[in-house]
Amino acid sequence: MTTTNAVLAGTPTACRRPGTAAVLRWEVAKLAAQARSRALLIGAVIVPIAIVLIFNTQLPPKDTIYGRNIHTSGYAVPLFVLAFAHQWVLPLLAALVAGDIFANEDQHGTWKTILTRSVSRTQVFWAKTLTAAGFNLLVLALLAASTITTSLLVVGTQRLPGLSGQLIPAGHALPLVIASWATAVAPVLGFTALAILLSVTTRNPTIGVAAPVVLGMIMQIVGSLGGLNKARRVLLTTPFETWHGLLTAHPFHAPIITGVIVSAAWLVVCLTLAYLYLRRRDITGG
Amino acid sequence: MLASCVIFNVRVMSDVLAVNAVHLTKTYGSLTAVNDIAVQVAQGEVYGVLGPNGAGKTTFLRMLFGLIRPDTGTLEVFGRSWQRHGVNSLSGVAGFIESPKFYPALSGRKNLRLLAGLDGGDAAACIDDVLDVVGLTDRQHDKVRGYSFGMRQRLGVASALLRSPRLLVLDEPANGLDPAGIRDMRALVRRLADTGLTVLLSSHDMGEVEQICDNVTIMKSGSVVHHGSIAALRELAPEQAHRITSTDDDRAAELTRARGLEVTVVDDGLAVRGPQKDVDALVADIVDAGIALRGLTRDETPLEALFFMLTESAPADPAAGVDISTGARR
Repeated sequence: MTTTNAVLAGTPTACRRPGTAAVLRWEVAKLAAQARSRALLIGAVIVPIAIVLIFNTQLPPKDTIYGRNIHTSGYAVPLFVLAFAHQWVLPLLAALVAGDIFANEDQHGTWKTILTRSVSRTQVFWAKTLTAAGFNLLVLALLAASTITTSLLVVGTQRLPGLSGQLIPAGHALPLVIASWATAVAPVLGFTALAILLSVTTRNPTIGVAAPVVLGMIMQIVGSLGGLNKARRVLLTTPFETWHGLLTAHPFHAPIITGVIVSAAWLVVCLTLAYLYLRRRDITGG
Repeated sequence: MLASCVIFNVRVMSDVLAVNAVHLTKTYGSLTAVNDIAVQVAQGEVYGVLGPNGAGKTTFLRMLFGLIRPDTGTLEVFGRSWQRHGVNSLSGVAGFIESPKFYPALSGRKNLRLLAGLDGGDAAACIDDVLDVVGLTDRQHDKVRGYSFGMRQRLGVASALLRSPRLLVLDEPANGLDPAGIRDMRALVRRLADTGLTVLLSSHDMGEVEQICDNVTIMKSGSVVHHGSIAALRELAPEQAHRITSTDDDRAAELTRARGLEVTVVDDGLAVRGPQKDVDALVADIVDAGIALRGLTRDETPLEALFFMLTESAPADPAAGVDISTGARR
């Protein structure tokens, strides 16, 4: 402890205020330091490999879309995985970081550590939101790339049966499979926003992660009920199924556009509520 | 030690108050946590906000950092207020509220590096220096979850110093520390204050404030019951109290009264209050009277006694507060 009296400056302290980019770098560095986030990224690469290898040795599950084709076309496998994943895996992956990223500060009592450093709540909100969204898109991209690559290497590049019974040549199948996975971007971002809202308002990481998955399952049940077509359109799980229109003999894109609009509406509403809540809340406790 | 690293960016005095809170009120439902208080801290002074638990000290400091918003009143830090300048009002301000919190899975150094990223400028270059100042260099690579309470307090001070503050705000910095930790923390605060840094310190320990601070505001139930200099407070304080136990307390009490000292019979003897020389003479009287003296101890210090008088009996009304400020510093 020899430095105390060592350095005295003669000028006033400059106004030190980090830009949002600095706050974003801080949040990314914090996320990168977490073992869980690194494990998630590694899992997004390794787990699809294991799934493809396991299903390649099993009888095909004929009750799931593209299930009966997983041994006959490498392009069918990623679509089968996508259809399975949207039921709860994608909402869960979207919520794992986003549902924790705000509540984690409450859990550790670190809000006051951050907000006593000339950083505005708006900056912190956007840094955390962009980090969560970026991370989730990275996980989705790794999941898709790993699934598609492994499927093509293990099963092969045979023609893909379309949903109207037509056969799609290999050269056309790959862009369609990638586009099908790309349709998950909008609802994944919607679930990210929902998880952020729950993370901000409940201040509880467990609820922030689990509640979006449970809500997703409830939406699927509601969506499967008859006579609720209008309600079904505004559910956040419906956009996960819009890729079906890409694989018919006469492709239709209207559900995809509707899905993007619905997801965007969920995103805007959830983020607006979360932002307003964070702006107005009193930081106490810890 | 890196001479290029400016940890203490002070010695810049002006007439602008470091802290100027006026008519500050904060309520939570029916509870008034802070009730129309005024606190003025001049630059370069070491200022104490003193009060028992629940007095509103931490609520006041939270408002200072913008963590909560006052219902009414204004609060300026170096002439900047949250209402007009937002987060820029925290420029030159650093500290911690309650116990400082960090990410437990990261090392102390990694935590400081993350915070330096938020501070910008050359904060990252100061990490070695601030670790040296608080004596954590040897444990910098240990995860914070393995730190003792005192080490976390010191890491909190280190993280505050990274901002090259002009105003250091410490909320009960000795809370939860063992005696050696309390001694080290007080010495550290005193050394920081000696550099010219303005220090605003909250505490429920009169002894701590007496040792460290120049001026003090005493709060009770959300209101200010006293503010002024420590020197002026000493003049208001009662005489030192002693506890005397003997083989004949009734007779000893008579001798005490005969000496003109204030005496109260308590469960375990006599509580005697008066000038030290008179108490010394009383002890001789007791012994000369053939009474065996079994115990002679000092009760709370005069300032502690005054603190208890103010916070246990004074009405929680700012208008009723005792103002013995000299006025020179405002």
